[in-house]
Amino acid sequence: MGKLVLYRLGFAIPQLLVVSVVVFSLTYLVPGSPAAAILGVSATPESIALVEEQLGLNRPAGERLLEWFGGLVQGDLGTAYRSGLPVTEMLAQRIPATLSMILGGMVVAIVIGVGVGVYTGTRPGTKADRLLTGGTVLGIAIPEFWLGILLTTVFAAQLGWLPIIGWVPFTVDPWGWFVGLILPSLTLGITGGAIIARQTRASMVRALAAPYTDTLTAAGVPRWKILYQYGVKNAMVPVLASIGVVFAILIGVSFVIEKVFSFPGLGSLMLTSTIGQDFPVVQGVVLFTATLVIAVNLLIDILYGLINPQARPA
Amino acid sequence: MTTSTVGPAAASAPAARQASGPAQAWRRLRHQPVTLAAVITIAIIIVIAAAAPLIAPYDAGETDFTSVLAGPSADHLLGTDDFGHDILSQLIYAARTALIVGVGSVLVAMLIGVPMGLILGYKGGWYDRLGSRVMDIADAMPGIMIGFVVIAILGRGTLILIFAIGLIFSMNFARMVRAITLTERKKLYVESAHVTGLRNRQIVFGQVLPNLVGPLAVQGAVFLGNAIKVEAALSFLGLGLPDDQPSWGGMLRTAAEHQVDHPWMALPPGIAIVITVLALNLLGDGINDALSGARTSRKQRKRALHQAPTLAEVEEAKRAVSSVVTTPVAVAPALAQALVTTDKHPDPVLAVRDIHIVADRPDGEVVPLVSSLDLTVGRGEVMGLLGESGSGKSMLAKSILGLLPAGVRVESGSVELAGEELVGRTERQWREIRGKKLGVVFQNPQANLSPVHTVGRQLIDPLRIHHGMSKAVARDQAADLLDMVGVKDAAKRLDDYPHQFSGGMAQRVAIAIALAGDPDVLILDEATSALDVTTQSQVLDLVLDLREKLGMAVINITHDLGVAAEACDRVAIMYHGQLLEVNDVFSLFDEPHHPYTKALLASHPTADHKVDRLPTIADFVTADGEWIAR
Repeated sequence: MGKLVLYRLGFAIPQLLVVSVVVFSLTYLVPGSPAAAILGVSATPESIALVEEQLGLNRPAGERLLEWFGGLVQGDLGTAYRSGLPVTEMLAQRIPATLSMILGGMVVAIVIGVGVGVYTGTRPGTKADRLLTGGTVLGIAIPEFWLGILLTTVFAAQLGWLPIIGWVPFTVDPWGWFVGLILPSLTLGITGGAIIARQTRASMVRALAAPYTDTLTAAGVPRWKILYQYGVKNAMVPVLASIGVVFAILIGVSFVIEKVFSFPGLGSLMLTSTIGQDFPVVQGVVLFTATLVIAVNLLIDILYGLINPQARPA
Repeated sequence: MTTSTVGPAAASAPAARQASGPAQAWRRLRHQPVTLAAVITIAIIIVIAAAAPLIAPYDAGETDFTSVLAGPSADHLLGTDDFGHDILSQLIYAARTALIVGVGSVLVAMLIGVPMGLILGYKGGWYDRLGSRVMDIADAMPGIMIGFVVIAILGRGTLILIFAIGLIFSMNFARMVRAITLTERKKLYVESAHVTGLRNRQIVFGQVLPNLVGPLAVQGAVFLGNAIKVEAALSFLGLGLPDDQPSWGGMLRTAAEHQVDHPWMALPPGIAIVITVLALNLLGDGINDALSGARTSRKQRKRALHQAPTLAEVEEAKRAVSSVVTTPVAVAPALAQALVTTDKHPDPVLAVRDIHIVADRPDGEVVPLVSSLDLTVGRGEVMGLLGESGSGKSMLAKSILGLLPAGVRVESGSVELAGEELVGRTERQWREIRGKKLGVVFQNPQANLSPVHTVGRQLIDPLRIHHGMSKAVARDQAADLLDMVGVKDAAKRLDDYPHQFSGGMAQRVAIAIALAGDPDVLILDEATSALDVTTQSQVLDLVLDLREKLGMAVINITHDLGVAAEACDRVAIMYHGQLLEVNDVFSLFDEPHHPYTKALLASHPTADHKVDRLPTIADFVTADGEWIAR
């Protein structure tokens, strides 16, 4: 177990380092200079030079990179161009809402995905299978933010069963937090659930057609045990990988549907910073999400090694 | 022990034609109604987008301030938005935007991804390591985030949007092309192209690219749908196109602002997106199925039922069944006499009587696999079932076990095991038989065991089921069983996984699993065929020892004359779904009766006869299933 974690960390840490260098160098890709972008049409060469001086943009790249890493180690992501606030602080305010929504979305996606996938995968070709598998095709095609608009229109605006503006911090009111998360989680989880369901169904069908299924059946192991103990565990090996992919997709989608549910998460911060070309904030959000994705994939790799003995380091 | 196989004679049939040619794929595509509907839908959307100025009742930018946020009316079929834009007209012009941005970004993605994938896959080495790192980083970024970053750096605009979305999907193309190039590069024909002195460029363009066309078409359709979704999301956020350009995402942005007072406004653009994306995804799935031949339509099945099949269809049907199926056989009277039935065992434990096994083809035709077969196996006897590939011996074994694959069934006949009828049992009724009275070991040692469960678990489960043991007792018993089949350090190895066992050892584990319920009959379905000769001998010796110890009967299915001679009391010869000859092993090898058996034995190479050419067996049955008199 310890060996497995170390082995996987050996992959994750270099990836994280490279990502942070890439994120750092983003500002160098801006045509002209970030200072010109901040100043907009009123920019003059003198004012640009002045802003560059203030923000330290005119210093050598190597020096700035070292400073960037030095800050990262201490949890300092720099200062926002527009508000002048520390980026770390701005992120910290937004992270609870985003994480709550993603957590809810992942729960919905995994429950729907594995549930539907196992159900259909154990009875391929039946009416129920065709209906649900058809449903997953639709689930993948629906734009999540539109689904969000429909759900809020029906359940919040028309029926009034759920609040239209969702976010309540957990520390303020746990029940309100939960109720507020229902619609965003459903919206977020359906596409991911459809992707996981398709993968689960396919690998379930494959697992149940494998020779060991016949060996166990012939040895007298009952069908339910083969389906739900042997079949599911074998099928989960590829499903885990698809859960990792879905996690990255969900983060992106959560950024879009925040707007539908007026969630004060990272998405709205990213949106205003993108429009305002506030690069320290953009860099901070990108780095945070990339770290989150890498961390979750690390976790999934470890789980993968636990389920699949052949993926463990020798 | 010398080994020779009987297979090649049967396998000398003309090699199956490649089932993935573009012409065939196109033919299959036309028979997929869902795909056809998707193609028509996409065609309609393209026409609407292209002819927008002709179709749309109003201009894209035309505003009618006398009618703002109005519901559907005769003037405005889908109503108007907050600026008095006609929603129907907006919807039509937005289709244009969606297609331009979608197609543009897929082209950008291909322009970046395809060359990248080709270089990584073809050059390998440092290129590949570096490129794979880049793809790993892209993996850590949610797609839409790449869009945000590109727009933050470059600003808003149609071309920037196309580039941003293209960039998101470029890595997917690169990954796919790399994987395909890697596989293609290792294939024989590319290597032979190297040897014959073709240049790299010729290999890439002449050999690798044609193999990419199909997968690229599939991915292109799917990513076009995804790109349209991403475009809508970015426009919904106000990061996409300029506000004056109609887009489905932009329309939904307006609709979201009015979702309380004018909820209907969200419907038209949303439905438009769903239909477009759905059609593109279904097209992608359809092309994929057509290329792999995974699906036949109901119409196609019906047609095949009611019309005389063409020659090509007959050929295809034959290919489709050739792996599992033999052609129908009618025994010529003269040859039927050659059938030697010393099959009167005084104390039978298993009796197969007049069994007929058939396969139901999707077009409704019933193809016989095993016909009128009688066989008895005595208590404690080792019966060899010898035949070439496709002779029906494995189907016979599977029918005894009730494990026939989907579409194959016992049409008539009876299988009696220790007085109990096996044909026609329900899944629940089989539980009294499987493991308790019948055990089986299949061919592939590794695949016979679940790779993600310990060997102990796979032994303990059947033990507990059959003997109602507690976990601890079953574990001791499992160790004893492993020890009995010759696995050293048995107690320790219970916690190992199948991949930690060699082929021979894994097969011993499979035998232990089969023996967990003390069966009366053990079926070895080519159980030693995949093992090397020494291991094969050891496993066969083990089975004979176990037979002595436990008194069970063994049915040893094999295509190997050596195995049959070494480890069987009696041998039954099967050919084309029929039993030709049954005799005790010495009589059968000394005086074969049936002409096929004689030919079979003659084709077996031995150390004392040095020959230039090994004898082969000519077909005894025509393609129509008629016996050829010899």
